[in-house]
Amino acid sequence: MPRPVTSILTLTLVFSLFTPVFADELTSIKQNGKISFAMSGQYPPFNFIDPNNNLTGFDVDICSAIAAEIGVEPAPLTTAWDGIIAGLLADKYDLICGSMAITPKRLESIDFSDPYYRSGAQLFVGRNAKIETAGELNGKTVGVTLGTTYEEWVRANLPQAEVRTYKGVPEMILEVVNGRIDGFVTDRIVGAIAIDEKQAPIKLAGPLLYEERMGIALRQGNPELKQTINAALKKLKEGERYKNISLKWLKIDAR
Amino acid sequence: MILDWAIIAHYFPFLLKGALLTLEISIFSLLFGLIVGLLAALCVLSKNLLLQWPARFYVWLIRSTPLLVQLFIIYFGLPQFGLNLSPFWSGVLALALNTGAYNAETIRAGILSVPHGQVEAARSLGMGPALTMRRIILPQAMRLIIPPLGNNFVILIKDTSLVSTITLVELTLTAQRLIGSTYKPFEMYLMAALLYAVLTTAATLVLRQLERRMAWGTA
Repeated sequence: MPRPVTSILTLTLVFSLFTPVFADELTSIKQNGKISFAMSGQYPPFNFIDPNNNLTGFDVDICSAIAAEIGVEPAPLTTAWDGIIAGLLADKYDLICGSMAITPKRLESIDFSDPYYRSGAQLFVGRNAKIETAGELNGKTVGVTLGTTYEEWVRANLPQAEVRTYKGVPEMILEVVNGRIDGFVTDRIVGAIAIDEKQAPIKLAGPLLYEERMGIALRQGNPELKQTINAALKKLKEGERYKNISLKWLKIDAR
Repeated sequence: MILDWAIIAHYFPFLLKGALLTLEISIFSLLFGLIVGLLAALCVLSKNLLLQWPARFYVWLIRSTPLLVQLFIIYFGLPQFGLNLSPFWSGVLALALNTGAYNAETIRAGILSVPHGQVEAARSLGMGPALTMRRIILPQAMRLIIPPLGNNFVILIKDTSLVSTITLVELTLTAQRLIGSTYKPFEMYLMAALLYAVLTTAATLVLRQLERRMAWGTA
């Protein structure tokens, strides 16, 4: 339960624009005994809500395993993808562990661990659609999740297509089924699993648009935290644990 | 189209849990919003300009900007100045400040509608301004304030759905998250809508009861 008294005290005290002394966050994470990490919760099988209303998936398992390596409790949470970096910068959680691609633009404002899996961008269309490649999307409507690398790519490479933005992949699958969009771009594994497990009436169109490496995002200026995460990740990958988690959720070894 | 009743039966308890958080946020925001509203109304009516102008500015600022933007300023913006509230308290603060401004206007209108003769009569009996406000004006104003205040409460309960954008898994976000795994938007949002209707109707009934009790001495 949050504490009103502290909040009100902070409210009255803080406007003095006091600048905190920055220390590596690893220390405070260990003191709290808890590491919080954010994801959209709309990205099965990487992160999603299961039928028992629990947040679960590949990302959750990987980051929980990393938390266990560090010796703290994992605290996964969901937030809108388009505000997820803003939330990290506003200290609302310790990490983003939600299949975020490492890009030069993102590296300007946040830091990343070593990649924890590889995948790529793929165009998906309705099962009976005639579209074969992304090039045929000119004049068509294509969906992307707001704030993703896919959104940037589609806007830059398919200027003739009408771009619609959504909060997550399940929403876009529904939109294809309802005929509101012709296709959408997302991670290849995400779409493949939706077809495989949810019998989503969509299909892959054309080859991989480009490859991506996903990392765990953290705030800049935390070399010790980053190093600790990388060491834990390396240990997971060397043992059987990474492989087991990957096979469980993705049916492949995504190392 | 036929509703998927199995889905509804399975997921209803989770939505109910979301509704509980919605209720909790509503109650805290309602209480703080009432206090803020009453204080702001008294300040706006005050002859002291140091009280009047800030209160007027507050009411103007809140009423002329969207709640969602206010919420984002508190949640995403204030940490830049070292004020990092939890999602729960960010939501309560934004909602309380927002509804507080509307409550202030409602309360101010209620106080102003008490005939001035009442004040003069109280003063001639030797009552000071504070006592006049407490014994004479507020009790009469209450009757006029409660119905529109109830309207503000209902709006407040519905506005709590906006805090779904700041990671609070209340009723709306619970529904949204479950659609991600069930692909059943109609069933999920229908259940959410029903639960909101239950909450707002309950609030309305409680207020109507209160209204009836306050109605003494009127024709």
